[in-house]
Amino acid sequence: MATLASRAPWMARVVQSRDIVPLIMLAFTTLLVIAPLLMILFATLTPDGMAAWQAITNSPLSRNLWWRPLGNTMILGAGTAIGCLLLGGFLAWLVVLTDVPARRFLAIMSILPFMIPSFAAALAWSTLFRNDRLGGQAGYFASNGIPIPDWLAWGIVPTLIVLIAHYYSLAYTMIAASLSSVSGDLVESAEMAGAKRGRILFGIVLPIVTPALISGGMLTFAGAVSNFAAPALLGAPVRMQTLSTRIYGMVQTGNIERGYVLALLLMLMAAALLYFSDRFVSGRRAFVTVTGKGARTKRFALGRWRWPLFIFATLIGVITTIIPVIVLFASSMAPRPGVLFSNWTLHFWIGPAGTSIAEGQAGIFRNPHLIDAVFTTIRLGLTVAGCAMLVGLLIAYTIVRYKASPYTRILSQLSFVPLFIPSIAMAAAYIAMYGTSLGPLPALYGTFALIVMAATANLMPYAVQSARGVLGQISADIEESARMTGAGAVRRMAQIVFPLAMRGIMAGGILVFIKIVRDLSLVVLLFSASTPLLSMIAFNYASLGFMQFANAITLVILVICLIASGLVHILQNKVQGWKSK
Amino acid sequence: MEKQMNMENRTRSATPAIAITNLTKRFDDFTAVDNINISVPPGSFLVLVGPSGCGKSTLLRMLAGLEPPTEGEIAFNGKVVSSGRSGVTTNPASRDAGLVFQSYALWPHKTVEGNIEWPLKVAGWSRDDRARRIDEVLKFLDIERLRNHYPAEISGGQQQRVAIARTIGPRPGVLLLDEPLSNLDAKLRVDMRSELMRIHRATKATSVYVTHDQVEAMTMATHVAVLRDGRVEQFGPPDELLRTPQTTFVATFLGTPAGNPIPATREGGAFMFGKTEMVSADLAPGHEKVQLLYRAQDITVGAREGRPVVKATYAESAPIAGQSMVTCMIGDLRLTVMVDGFYRAEPGAEIELCFLRDPDAVFNTDGQRIS
Repeated sequence: MATLASRAPWMARVVQSRDIVPLIMLAFTTLLVIAPLLMILFATLTPDGMAAWQAITNSPLSRNLWWRPLGNTMILGAGTAIGCLLLGGFLAWLVVLTDVPARRFLAIMSILPFMIPSFAAALAWSTLFRNDRLGGQAGYFASNGIPIPDWLAWGIVPTLIVLIAHYYSLAYTMIAASLSSVSGDLVESAEMAGAKRGRILFGIVLPIVTPALISGGMLTFAGAVSNFAAPALLGAPVRMQTLSTRIYGMVQTGNIERGYVLALLLMLMAAALLYFSDRFVSGRRAFVTVTGKGARTKRFALGRWRWPLFIFATLIGVITTIIPVIVLFASSMAPRPGVLFSNWTLHFWIGPAGTSIAEGQAGIFRNPHLIDAVFTTIRLGLTVAGCAMLVGLLIAYTIVRYKASPYTRILSQLSFVPLFIPSIAMAAAYIAMYGTSLGPLPALYGTFALIVMAATANLMPYAVQSARGVLGQISADIEESARMTGAGAVRRMAQIVFPLAMRGIMAGGILVFIKIVRDLSLVVLLFSASTPLLSMIAFNYASLGFMQFANAITLVILVICLIASGLVHILQNKVQGWKSK
Repeated sequence: MEKQMNMENRTRSATPAIAITNLTKRFDDFTAVDNINISVPPGSFLVLVGPSGCGKSTLLRMLAGLEPPTEGEIAFNGKVVSSGRSGVTTNPASRDAGLVFQSYALWPHKTVEGNIEWPLKVAGWSRDDRARRIDEVLKFLDIERLRNHYPAEISGGQQQRVAIARTIGPRPGVLLLDEPLSNLDAKLRVDMRSELMRIHRATKATSVYVTHDQVEAMTMATHVAVLRDGRVEQFGPPDELLRTPQTTFVATFLGTPAGNPIPATREGGAFMFGKTEMVSADLAPGHEKVQLLYRAQDITVGAREGRPVVKATYAESAPIAGQSMVTCMIGDLRLTVMVDGFYRAEPGAEIELCFLRDPDAVFNTDGQRIS
């Protein structure tokens, strides 16, 4: 090395410069995230694009294309955020700060809904509450003589309920984490000052968790705004459009520029919202840091409310997780939604084709297309989890180890940009960028590679975040002590950093895997016949009214997610025996 | 092996084990290490001591090869390992140095044995050599029974021993230690201090030891460099630093208790502290304002015939080996003095201090020694 230096000192300077690695990563991230955004913007600046802008913002059509979907989207977003904060906040308070019975059980119940795809809840709702307005088979209640009004069967109310049921666990996770950082000392010092319970809650606890409440509210808002499955299944059939379903409709019907314009507007809205909430929260961040490491928390005694509150919390979990799964399961066996719990048949799973049920279609496990889809979905999940975690680790490593470079700051901000981009808009951007051939690059539209790329970009913030958490636990000393032995970079990575990071990488990987396997909003635009995916097939069956097939496939997705989580859990305990000892 | 032969071929006095020349490290516009020159012969125990932020850890990291210098050079046994000019540092392993981290930095997923073995593996030792060496260092540090434990399962003091064992495993020619005792409790620290000196005697490795604790510096070092704001304030054997400090900073930083510099002004033929005539002005001809250094044992409580006396406010006292170390204030000036036997007064009470002997040294107002 010394000889190399004497020969070409400038080269050594470049190699040792602390800017080179951040710059490479920055270029890579730009290609993955920023370039598609620029492409979608340029695509709307063509004559066709300008016409689309005109049609959407300033024409007789704009009421239907933009203003009404916008209104519906905002109502869903705000309603979901409020509902999630109430439910999630209540559960978090109960689990973290009170002496409610079976706290661990409630904690697990409260995070389960996020494991279940939002279209599962939407399908379950539909199975129970569907009425005869659109013809086809009516749901369980309507078939059993309980009339279901239109507002409960279709449109904004059921969509809102399904979205809250899906997203409240996100709010719960954030609020619970923040509440457990309120150390018992803080509460006790307030008690010593003579403050009463309510005073402590509103004067001490609430201000500390305010940032978590705001971020929780904003994330659930953003989630609801960009959700596609729930409004598409429960709203679109009765012409209740949101921006997501509108974008899908536009791209589907060939009005691609209009789709791009709507995607841009949706992105702007989401970005503005998250930006302002972040500004609002960052001024208060000081509250979070003073509490230091997670200390013992002080629990309030609930007295005679202990059991009633426990039952109430359990009910929330049962209604949002257990019942939908049971309904999906029963429905996949029942010939008609009206008789969910008798005359069960396995036809929808393994039945042969050409019978009188299901218009002669075979059960899902006899459908070669579907078996194909199972493998494609798993392959997609694994590939995306691998790619996203690799990218996440590289970016996180650069951010942690090259703090001094000015490019690192930009890189760290850039890696969080996809959080501002609703997945359906991200998908539209990827069509704009890679849909047609680009110089030497062939057109990637409809290919597996395009979905992988878009999903990696889409899930990058989660991957970077979990990788940062992992690397943050590996002190610089640990790696430097390996460097002192003379081990090369690859060996250090493989034998020191990687084994230590393994557990966290797998946790991050499973999150990415689940998110992509049950995803609909991203793949709905990128999917093609050559890349059959389970969620898309379920969605198509549901659109055609074959609820049993849709429900059965949704259960398959659930089982895949559960098995994957279980495997990771076992593996984690295997690779890090040193931690549990 | 080759390295060792080289070392023996050279004359010991001619080639310093560590030679630091004009070494400077800048981070953006902050200068952490500023033009440092130090060299020590093989087998030395060099202690870098100074308050936090003085640049001692940065200096150590440059010695380890973890940071490249901005300017200047570091040579081990006459071979340049870091140079600011080429901007390149020899990689940490090929400079034959081992570093014990303040946090120990044990690899949590490896057992004690695994931690000691890995550097040997990286260095390409054979399986038999590794096994032999592991047994040797485990025994040497008295941690044989911890062999199969993971770092999380053993105490802080034991982790410290493992960290040292891991570092001396490959027999480095230079042993670097970054505040190794700072995470241990007081009793363990004293034990470990003698243990480290035993290790130094046994391995004969030239050692560089960073600390902010002057007691560690005075007890362990063959050479001490007092650092302040990135510069070497004074460099030499510990007793020399103690006996003839070159600056007031050194005088007040080293020694238990530390020395007392007292500002004095020339009036006629004497240096005056307030209204008290302290000493003849012939001590520092040509200087109007000076600082007089008095050792704690040269000041006591209670007036004596024919010696200067000043009034002070009593603050606290601590008994030490049959004497009392009394701290008192004159305005903003804090003085530490010694009294025979057990002495205590009401905090805030006015007491008389007597200067038993003439000052040990005279400094100018910038803190530089005059005589």
